[in-house]
Amino acid sequence: MASLGELERAVMERLWAADGPVAATRLRDELADRGVALTTVHTVLTRLEQKGFVRHDDSRPRGFSARASREDHAADLMHEVLGQAADRQAVLARFVGSVNEDEARLLRELLGR
Amino acid sequence: MLPATAVALAVLAALLAWPVPAALARAHWPVRDPLVALVCWQAVGLAGGLSMIGALLVHGLAPWGHSLPEAWWSWVRGMPAADPVRGDHWVTMTLAAVLAVELVGVLLLSWVRVGRTRRRHRELLELVVEPGPHADARLLDHPAPVAFCIPGARPLLVLSSGMVAELDEEQLAAVVAHERAHLAEHHHLLLLPFVAWKSALPVLPAAERAHCSVRELVEMRADDVALGSLPGATPRRTLAEAIVAAAGGSGGVPSGALAVSGAGVRARVVRLLEPADPLPPAARWSALVAAVLLLLLPTALLLLPAL
Repeated sequence: MASLGELERAVMERLWAADGPVAATRLRDELADRGVALTTVHTVLTRLEQKGFVRHDDSRPRGFSARASREDHAADLMHEVLGQAADRQAVLARFVGSVNEDEARLLRELLGR
Repeated sequence: MLPATAVALAVLAALLAWPVPAALARAHWPVRDPLVALVCWQAVGLAGGLSMIGALLVHGLAPWGHSLPEAWWSWVRGMPAADPVRGDHWVTMTLAAVLAVELVGVLLLSWVRVGRTRRRHRELLELVVEPGPHADARLLDHPAPVAFCIPGARPLLVLSSGMVAELDEEQLAAVVAHERAHLAEHHHLLLLPFVAWKSALPVLPAAERAHCSVRELVEMRADDVALGSLPGATPRRTLAEAIVAAAGGSGGVPSGALAVSGAGVRARVVRLLEPADPLPPAARWSALVAAVLLLLLPTALLLLPAL
């Protein structure tokens, strides 16, 4: 039995790959190799909705779709990581910040010596 | 309780609010031993808070007894003061309470706020990252050369595809070792009190300086730890190359990125390429003893009967 985190990833992959809204039953069929029950699919979808990654429409049966593409999520995240304000540096530890062009040249000169 | 204790604490608080942190930030030895310097900074921060709040409290509670524990206990039980209580006693007591609540409050608040942002980042990351070149490092598809880790109960180490493209195998291993060191030594906890100090007392010039120094020292410490686990003939040069490539990669600052001051990055590169001699054991130990004494002094002043 896969962990919830893995299932969330698998469900998001299916939603990103799909053209339009996807019903929970179809997701269960697509994830048949993992042996997940329909209730598990619903649990995963609810969690993803709470996290703001998935929304559903009002049709019957309900169709689920991703709120943003994978690329948008990656870009959003990177924007926050790169644009970290000074007081946000406590959130994550970045290997090294970006420096401007002049500083970058100075650094390369240090290496060249 | 005579005012001598309060005066001693106030002098200590004043010293720790400016001259001591300024001297420590200017000193050259911390670069040679970041770990010892980090211990000293924690002592300065803790002793500073203790003596500042303590000085106010000792003066405010003076009419109730001859030592702080005794005076505090009589005050809590609502005993009448032995000496007349003047206005300045109430003012200093209020100030002590405000300062204590603010420091602790800001600490808790930044803990909660940072934790929430970390959780959100982690949730997002867990969906978009893929298994990376190293067992514990995930890969994020983005052209900017970036590596970072999110500390916490479930730490996450992330490399961007731009970083992987920019660096060779050995350099990448150096980056991962550096980030692993942050996680293994819980460096985010060393930074937290200084983040709180800075937002609680923005008027205190030393708070900003202290935060800055501690941030740089934490990076240098992670560099040192990373060097220990790197194979290859020239790990110092490998790590320095990785730093330079990541800092100046993609032709300067990518859009939306905040440029960091080059001074800190330069200091890291210089100490990797031209390492200074390590601190002699005698100097190491005297710095550590000084840090312990710095903590014991205000504690003793607070607990022992007033002079």
